[in-house]
Amino acid sequence: MDLYAFFFYFFAVLTVGSAFVVVFSRNIIYSAFALMFTFFGVAALYVLLYADFVAVTQLLVYVGGILVLIIFGVMLTTKVFSVEMKTGTLNLLPATLFTAIIAGMLIFVFSATDWNVVPDQEWDTTVYGIGALLVNEFILPMQVAGVLLLVAMIGAVMMAARDWTKLKSK
Amino acid sequence: MAEHILESISLFLPEIALTVTLCVAIIADLILKERNQNVAYVVIAGLVITTIFVLRQTGLTETIFSDMVAVDPFAVFFKIVLAVSGFFIVFFSMKCRELDANKKRIGEYYMLIVAMMLGMFIMVGATNLLLMYLALELSSIASYILAGYTKRARDSAEASLKYVIYGAVSSGMLIYGVSILYGITGATDIYGVNAALQTGDFSPLALLTAGILIIAGFGYKVTVAPFHFWSPDVYEGAPITITAFLAVASKAAGFAMMIRFFKVSFIDTALLDTAGVWDIVEGFQWNIILAVMAVLTMTLGNLVAIWQNNIKRLLAYSSIAHAGYILMGLVVLTDQGIASMMLYFVMYLFMNFGAFYIAMLISNKLDTEDIEDYKGLGYRAPLVCVAMAVFLISLTGIPPTAGFIAKFYLFAAVISAGWYGLVLIAAINTVISLFYYVRIFRNMFLIEPEGDTSKIEFSLSSKILVFALLIPTIFFGVYFRDIVDLAQASVKMFGL
Amino acid sequence: MIPLNFYLVLSALLFTIGVVGVLTRRNAIIVFMSIELMLNSVNLTLVAFSSFLGDATGQMLVFFVITIAAAEAAIGLAIIIALFRNKQTVNIDEINLLKW
Repeated sequence: MDLYAFFFYFFAVLTVGSAFVVVFSRNIIYSAFALMFTFFGVAALYVLLYADFVAVTQLLVYVGGILVLIIFGVMLTTKVFSVEMKTGTLNLLPATLFTAIIAGMLIFVFSATDWNVVPDQEWDTTVYGIGALLVNEFILPMQVAGVLLLVAMIGAVMMAARDWTKLKSK
Repeated sequence: MAEHILESISLFLPEIALTVTLCVAIIADLILKERNQNVAYVVIAGLVITTIFVLRQTGLTETIFSDMVAVDPFAVFFKIVLAVSGFFIVFFSMKCRELDANKKRIGEYYMLIVAMMLGMFIMVGATNLLLMYLALELSSIASYILAGYTKRARDSAEASLKYVIYGAVSSGMLIYGVSILYGITGATDIYGVNAALQTGDFSPLALLTAGILIIAGFGYKVTVAPFHFWSPDVYEGAPITITAFLAVASKAAGFAMMIRFFKVSFIDTALLDTAGVWDIVEGFQWNIILAVMAVLTMTLGNLVAIWQNNIKRLLAYSSIAHAGYILMGLVVLTDQGIASMMLYFVMYLFMNFGAFYIAMLISNKLDTEDIEDYKGLGYRAPLVCVAMAVFLISLTGIPPTAGFIAKFYLFAAVISAGWYGLVLIAAINTVISLFYYVRIFRNMFLIEPEGDTSKIEFSLSSKILVFALLIPTIFFGVYFRDIVDLAQASVKMFGL
Repeated sequence: MIPLNFYLVLSALLFTIGVVGVLTRRNAIIVFMSIELMLNSVNLTLVAFSSFLGDATGQMLVFFVITIAAAEAAIGLAIIIALFRNKQTVNIDEINLLKW
C-alpha cells in the first residue's frame, strides 16, 4: 500500500468515524468536537485531491467560523455546563429504513457508474484558476453571494437581538 | 470579458434596481427615526423603478454574464408577476396589524421583502445551476427570517426554525444533485448540461439519482408532495403577509426556475418541432415522476384541507393543492402546458392574494384566524364577505371567475397532450376542494351571527385594495383573450 | 492512486450520516451539525469531480456552498437562540405549539 492510499484510508476513516460521533453522541459538546475532526478530515482529503486552496478555506471557514458559531450556540442555549445536555433520538425505525435506501442507492450508483474522467491530471496551484473564474464567468454569483451574506447578517442580528423584556410582560 | 460584463449590466437593471432599493431601505431605516411606514414608501418607489426596467426588457431574448442569466419573454413575464405581487405585499404589510407587535424592526422587514424579491427575480432568469442555487438560497434565507418576524407569537419563531431546517436539508439535496450532475456532464450551465446529455454518454442511473435529488430541492420551494411538510406549519406561524407572499410569489419563482431547468436541460433538441411539443433525452423519464407528484400533491392538499379550522392553514393546504394542478402543465411536455401554467399564475395571484387579504382584514378586526369565528360575518361585514366568496369561487374554479379560465386552459392543455387520467384526478380534486371552500362560505352567510352583531367598518384604503384584487378576479373571468395571448407569447425561452 | 469512486462512496456515506442525524436527533443544534455534514459531503463530491475532470469550476462551486453553509448556520443558530429564550428548550419535539 503506497503512502497516498494510506493517507486516504486514514482520513476517510477519521472523517466517517467522527461524523458518526457527531450524530450519535449523547453529549453535545462531544458532537461539536467530533465535528471539528470531520472538518479536518475533509480538508485533508481535499489536499489529497490537489485542492490546496479549498482545503485552507475549509479550515478557515468551517473550523474557524462555523464550528465556533455552533459552540457558541451550544453555550448560549444551555444555562449551566454541568447540567446533563441529554439529546435523545426519535423515530428511529422509519429513519433507519429511509436512510438505508438512500445510502444503498447512492453507494450503488457511485460504485457502478463509469465516470468520464480525464486520467492523470497535472495540477499546479489552483488559486489562479479559481480567481480567474470568480471575476470572469462567475462574477454574478459572487455578487449575489455578497448580497446573500449581507441579508443573512442583518437577519441573524435581528432574530437573535429581539426585544425580549416587552414580550415577557405580555 | 470586461466589455461583456458591462453589456450584461445594462440588461440586468431590474435586479440592480432591487439591490439598490435594498441598500436604500437599510439606510432609510437608520435615518428616518420615526418608525412609521417611511421605509415602505422607499420600497414602493424602488419597485416602481424596477417595474419600469422590467417593462423595458419586453421582447428581448438575450443571455448575459457568460450564460448565467437569460433575459427572455419567459423571464420578463414572471418578473412582472413577481413585481405585481411585491406591490400587493407591501400594501398589505402597511395595513397588517399583526406586524405592529414588532414595530421597531419594520425597516428590516421591508428590506427582507426586497431581498426575497431579488432572489426570486434572479431565480426566474437563472440559466446556471450555481446561480439557481444561490438565488433560491437568497430568497429562502430572507423568508426564514420573515417567517419568524412577529414577536406576538411564539409559534412564529418556531415556524422559522422548522422552515430553516427543512429548507437547509432540501437545498442540501439540491446541491448534492447538482454536484452529481456536474460530475456526469462537466458543466454547470443548463445549456452545457443539455449538450452533454444529448451525446448519450452517461450512466442513466446516476442521472436518475441526480434528478431525484434536484427535484427534492425544487419540490420544497414549490411545495409539492412529498416535500411539502414544512409549508402548513410555516404558513400558519408566519405573519399573514408573508404567508401570502410565500404562497404566490415564492411558488411562481420556484416553478419558473423548475420549468426552465427541465425544459432546457432534459429535452432532446433534435426532436423539437414547431408545434411546441418536445421530447425528453433518453434515460431519465422525469415527467412521469412529476406526474406522480402532481397527483399526490393535489389529492393530499385537498383532503387535508377539509379538516382545517385555521384559515391560514386551510389556505396553506389549498395552495399546496394548487401547486399540484400547476405541476400538471410541466408533465405534458408542450408549450401549451407551459403557457397554461403561466396563465394560472396570473389568475392565482389575484384570487389567492384576495383570500389572504380578506383573512387578514378579519384578523385585524376580530383578532381571530378560526373559521368557526367567521359565523355570521356576512351580515356584519357584507362587502368584505362577498369579496371573499368571489375569491373562494375563483379558487374552486367555477365560472365566471378568473380561476375557471385558469383551470380551463390548464386542463385543456393536459387533455390535448393525452393525459386523460391526470385530468380526471384533477377534476375529482376540484370537486373535493368545493367542500372546504363552501364551509367558509356557509359560516359567513348561512349561519346567524352569535353574540356581537355590530357592523364592522373598514377604512377606505382597505376597500380600495379589496377592489384592486376583486376586479381582476372577475374581469379575467369574462375577458381573457389578451392575457392568454400574452402568456402564449411569453413561452419563448432563450436558446430554444 | 485512489479511484474517483472511492471518494464518491465516502461522500455518500457522509451524506447519509448527515441525513440520519437530521431525521433522528431532537436537538436542533445537532440537526444543524448534521446539515453541515451533508454540505461537507457535497463539497467532497465537487472537489473529487473537479480533480478528476480537470476542471476548476467544481472547486469554485465549493466556495459558494461554504458561503451558504455559513449563512444558514448563522440564521439557524440565531433562530435557535431566539426560540430558546422564549421556551428554554432546543429540542424540536418539545416545541409543539404547531404540529410537527
